[in-house]
Amino acid sequence: MRPLLGPLHALARLPAYLWAAVLVLGTLLLLALATRGGSVPGAVMIDHALVWPDAAVQTATEVGLPHVWNNERRDWDGTATYRMSLPPALAGLAMENGLGLLLPRVGVRYRVEFNGQEVASECWRRGPGYCDAGIRSQFVQLPRALMAPRWEDNHIDVQLQGQKLRISGLSPVWVGPRDALYQRHRWLDWWQVDMTWMVTASATMMGVLSLLIWLRTGERLFGLLGGGLLVLTTRLWLSTPVFVPGPFVFWDYVHKLSFTWYCGFLYLFISELFDFQQGLVRRLVVAMMAIGPFWLALLEWTANYQLYRWWTGVIVAVCMAALLAVIHRARWGMNVNQRLMVVVGLAVMVTGLRDFLVVQMGLPGDVDIRWMTPGSLVLMFTMGWVLVRRTAEALEQVARHNAELAHKVQAREVELHAVFDRLRAAESQRVLEAERRRLTRDMHDGLGSQLVQTLNLVRASGQLIDSAAVAAMLNHALDELRMTLDSLEPMDGDLPTILGTLRQRIGPALQAAGIELDWQVEDVPAVSGLEARGVMHLFRCLQEIFANVVKHSHARRVTVRTWVDGGQVCLSVRDDGVGLGQAAGDTWRSGGRGLGNIRLRAAEIGAGVFFTDAAPGTCVTLRFATVGGARTGLAE
Amino acid sequence: MPALPDAPGRAAPLGETRIYLIEDDPTILQFVQQALLLRPQWQLLGQAGSLTEARQHALLSDANVFLVDLGLPDGRGEEVLRLLARHQRDAELLVFTVFGEESRLVGALEAGATGYVLKGCSAEELIAAIEQIREGGAPISPLLARLLLKQFRSEQDSLPGQTPVPDEVVLSERETDVLKLVAKGYVNKEIAHKLGISPATVGTHIKNLYRKLAVHSRVQVVRAAQERGLL
Repeated sequence: MRPLLGPLHALARLPAYLWAAVLVLGTLLLLALATRGGSVPGAVMIDHALVWPDAAVQTATEVGLPHVWNNERRDWDGTATYRMSLPPALAGLAMENGLGLLLPRVGVRYRVEFNGQEVASECWRRGPGYCDAGIRSQFVQLPRALMAPRWEDNHIDVQLQGQKLRISGLSPVWVGPRDALYQRHRWLDWWQVDMTWMVTASATMMGVLSLLIWLRTGERLFGLLGGGLLVLTTRLWLSTPVFVPGPFVFWDYVHKLSFTWYCGFLYLFISELFDFQQGLVRRLVVAMMAIGPFWLALLEWTANYQLYRWWTGVIVAVCMAALLAVIHRARWGMNVNQRLMVVVGLAVMVTGLRDFLVVQMGLPGDVDIRWMTPGSLVLMFTMGWVLVRRTAEALEQVARHNAELAHKVQAREVELHAVFDRLRAAESQRVLEAERRRLTRDMHDGLGSQLVQTLNLVRASGQLIDSAAVAAMLNHALDELRMTLDSLEPMDGDLPTILGTLRQRIGPALQAAGIELDWQVEDVPAVSGLEARGVMHLFRCLQEIFANVVKHSHARRVTVRTWVDGGQVCLSVRDDGVGLGQAAGDTWRSGGRGLGNIRLRAAEIGAGVFFTDAAPGTCVTLRFATVGGARTGLAE
Repeated sequence: MPALPDAPGRAAPLGETRIYLIEDDPTILQFVQQALLLRPQWQLLGQAGSLTEARQHALLSDANVFLVDLGLPDGRGEEVLRLLARHQRDAELLVFTVFGEESRLVGALEAGATGYVLKGCSAEELIAAIEQIREGGAPISPLLARLLLKQFRSEQDSLPGQTPVPDEVVLSERETDVLKLVAKGYVNKEIAHKLGISPATVGTHIKNLYRKLAVHSRVQVVRAAQERGLL
């Protein structure tokens, strides 16, 4: 198997444009074979006729066919009659189904008379609408009943009606066996009508598809192709029916404008595909597409066909410039898609050249069959193929980018997790450090200072140690330590429990001072900011307040109360002693350091603190935010 | 294992208070001896300075009040409490603690302690604590009450809905009220006033709570063993 597969693999690796070149060459060869002759067996082509330009002119002149009136008379819309005799070569031949007449191109309206009797007509009696018999071949049967007894007395008159802005005239006609000419007529119909419909249907489908993809992806290339193909669809649709309802001027305008825009869209598509910069040619094309509607409207308004000739010249000039731009661009190298388009574009140009040489220059070939139509079809499919490839490449690229992105995201995620872990560890370390500092500070300020005082007392006492004072100081130190440890217990902002815990520490001092404690603590919602550090701040605040009551208030009773007010938790300590600023040596009652300390500590836990005269006595109120509620801000 | 004497069937009068100290600090022994001078009729039956000594002597002692230090040189005081709770079921087990760490106290109570006393207290305070516990009361702090409330609530919530819970491990309504008031900082006298009962009854409720906690703990151990297929 391997020796056989080797060459196949080698073929499969060939670039697409090489395959396309082979296919296009094959197609051109088939076209050449299918349209090499153009003759009809047994029939005779008539290429000369006597012509009367209009009814008023009686003098006939002999002209060669094809004969185009617009070449002789600008904007011709008159009538004319071509007279032809039956070719002598056909005389005496036995024809089973009689004679037939084939008019490959005649227009725009015609009528055929055989020996003075009308045998066929197209658009002859229609109104001034959009009508052109010349878009397809016309077949006419010549009835035996109308044959003159003598062969040389038979004549055929083809009468024409011209139409401004339309080419009018007569191509060479064929006379011969009816069946053979009818077959030829069907063959021409297939090329001229059926083939055009195929191209129209394909253009419509691909145009709609391209526009849908453009709407979905926003890629301009698809928009340009979709626009071009829909414009082409319009033009092709107008190229197949003989008659279209509606005013001639409108449809002729659409027909001519669609050609202009098709050329424009085609160039812009090529320009986009080849990644051209905004050059002169591109601006020319855009200008052509913008000016076209106005120029053609002027043309229809003035009914001056010469304007269209000039406009066609502009289109040809712009297209030539575009072609040169493509050739210029090709110097920088092309990718596979661009080469593919160049190969097929050249092939389409070959079909146009062939049509020009055969029809206009008389080179051998079937003059009634144009290669441009199948050429357009191939060009269209090629453009579609290029787009499919481009889209597939884009999708592959997106998939590759997505994979790379996913990989990078995963890597970043891992990094992020590592950073997060480090941050968490650092944060944890920071919290631990802060807590350690706090504990150290509390120990230093509370227990440490108490122990230093005790030490100094012991030293100062010498041999006579005041054991009661030492014991009291050590007890105080122990209480300090217990309070610090109490603050570390998890209390979840439960203010009553915090107060109850504090009561154990301050209760004996109040009792010793003979102050009655009225405990009116009720359940309140959890308070925010009362984690270990906050609890210690609150302890210190209350310690300061109670110390002040014991030392300076001369109170007999102190009331501790909790309640909820306006979404805030309130705590008050109220004594019945002397009021604010009335006690001697009372620092915080007179706004001294104690007051400042309380305010600072309250601010640390986000509580507001208020000092009021309770008449008699003093009331200190703290207001706390609840868990999940707003903070009260700094201390008042 | 030596044969253990039967536990007394009822609480002895205060005059028959017999104390056993399990503590390795000689100053504490000295302090207790000094305190007992205030109650000459009370007896200090013995002292163990380690877990090993406690196992050898305390379990055989005829004491009805045990003062137990949680930090022994060769083990944890909770183990001693567990042994005493099993073998000296009617004795009062008082924990000696320096700071009253509530989290650790709960463990001690679950092990069988019926009260606690702070080291560093005065002799009078120690005597008062022993008398309180001998009279059926028990000390408690707001934080400890809060912990106990949480403990009972979470354990009851964790039980399946249809599981029957024995009365001896469920808080009664009155006990719950007492715990809530203690947690808010109220003292026994105030609680008694608010609930319309005597201060002694408040103490009894608190002591019952401790017993329930110990039973609850044992029930939990049994249940855990059953779940693991050990029983």
